[in-house]
Amino acid sequence: MSPLRAAEHRILIVDDEQPVRDAVSEYLGAYGFTVDAAEELEEAEALLATTHYSLMIADVRLTGLHGREGLELLRFARRHCAGIRVIVMTAHAAGDLEREARRRGADAFVEKPLPLADLLFEVHGLIDAVDRVPAGEGQDA
Amino acid sequence: MPETLLDRLLLPGAFRVVFQPILSYDQRGWQIHALEALVRGPRGTHMEYPEVLFEYVRRKSAEAVVDRHCVAEVMKAARPLGSQITLSINVHAATLEQDATFPDFFRAQVQEAGRVPARVIVEIVEHAAPWAGAGFARALEAMRAHGFAIALDDVGLGHSNFRMILECRPEYFKLDAFLVRGSHNDYYRRAVVRSIVELAASFGGTAVAEGLDNVEDLRIVLDEGVRSVQGYLLARPAPADVLGGSELMMRAATRLPTAFDDVRFTPSGDWLRQATQALSQAAPLAAAS
Repeated sequence: MSPLRAAEHRILIVDDEQPVRDAVSEYLGAYGFTVDAAEELEEAEALLATTHYSLMIADVRLTGLHGREGLELLRFARRHCAGIRVIVMTAHAAGDLEREARRRGADAFVEKPLPLADLLFEVHGLIDAVDRVPAGEGQDA
Repeated sequence: MPETLLDRLLLPGAFRVVFQPILSYDQRGWQIHALEALVRGPRGTHMEYPEVLFEYVRRKSAEAVVDRHCVAEVMKAARPLGSQITLSINVHAATLEQDATFPDFFRAQVQEAGRVPARVIVEIVEHAAPWAGAGFARALEAMRAHGFAIALDDVGLGHSNFRMILECRPEYFKLDAFLVRGSHNDYYRRAVVRSIVELAASFGGTAVAEGLDNVEDLRIVLDEGVRSVQGYLLARPAPADVLGGSELMMRAATRLPTAFDDVRFTPSGDWLRQATQALSQAAPLAAAS
């Protein structure tokens, strides 16, 4: 993907670990993507509600105010960003979590620490899928 | 070391405050009616954008603590402006509903800053509807008893609806940019603007058109009877010193210049020149004092 095409896509990385946010932001930024990073569920929701993203990469082990689950972010993202693709990542892969994430609309599930090159491969694949879907016809949860 | 993002936002100096002039017209001409204080998050972060910052604050249910912090920061930032100019300060309806001591806190902040309530407008913003309780009504009553005027933000949008108008009976009806922008070539938008101007007049209030960014829309809202205006076309939000500092206080007591040449070599010259030009383009007769 050319940097010019990448620049058309904004990506949101959601993770409570700053080194993860920094590494992913810097890496994808070097490939031309515009990347925003959120450390909290509510911060991610505020960004999703006000900005259009093509892709979200989220650690859904986050918890929010009043014990809300990070998985709720998937439905929120689908509702606010038409056509958004979602990569769920977590440090502790569990079959139940992956099934639930996919049921709620995750497009890909990756385990941390994931080599950045592999993450980029997933990102390119999903962004290509976004480009193939006409605007306004994104899937909804 | 602050642990959460909210803690970091509440550190002294994390917020920046800018002011945007609200200009109003009467028989004697245009003048600076008030400055709306606008709070921005840390520069270089996405919290710099107010829509992200306050969406986050609302999702954290932190309106009250953040509003208190904002009021204190606004009072600090407004010092160079002197105490004679009117400030319009945003407060969430949720804060008034939930924080019973907020009106007293607000008054104390105003007094400590050497300001008088008659020169402070409480601008109520809301994006959810937790204000329907008794706390909101009590707080509003207290604010009025303290002598503050009430403005209702975003009239016609979201929860700033007829019920909210009846609850607040505001002195100022602020027409959201969504209604104002494009009113020059949209019959229906213009009709909504006209209806809110009439509604405001029926309440004995003042309609304020926000978000003006072109002369055509300015001309339409003036034609529809709006006499208080705000927007990038007239003046962008700016720190107190850029707007002219204490010089602005003197301007507020006088009138806007009637010709561009009247504004020279002053810190506030740039925006005053811009505002005067826009007003005279939109309504040449109204711009002359």
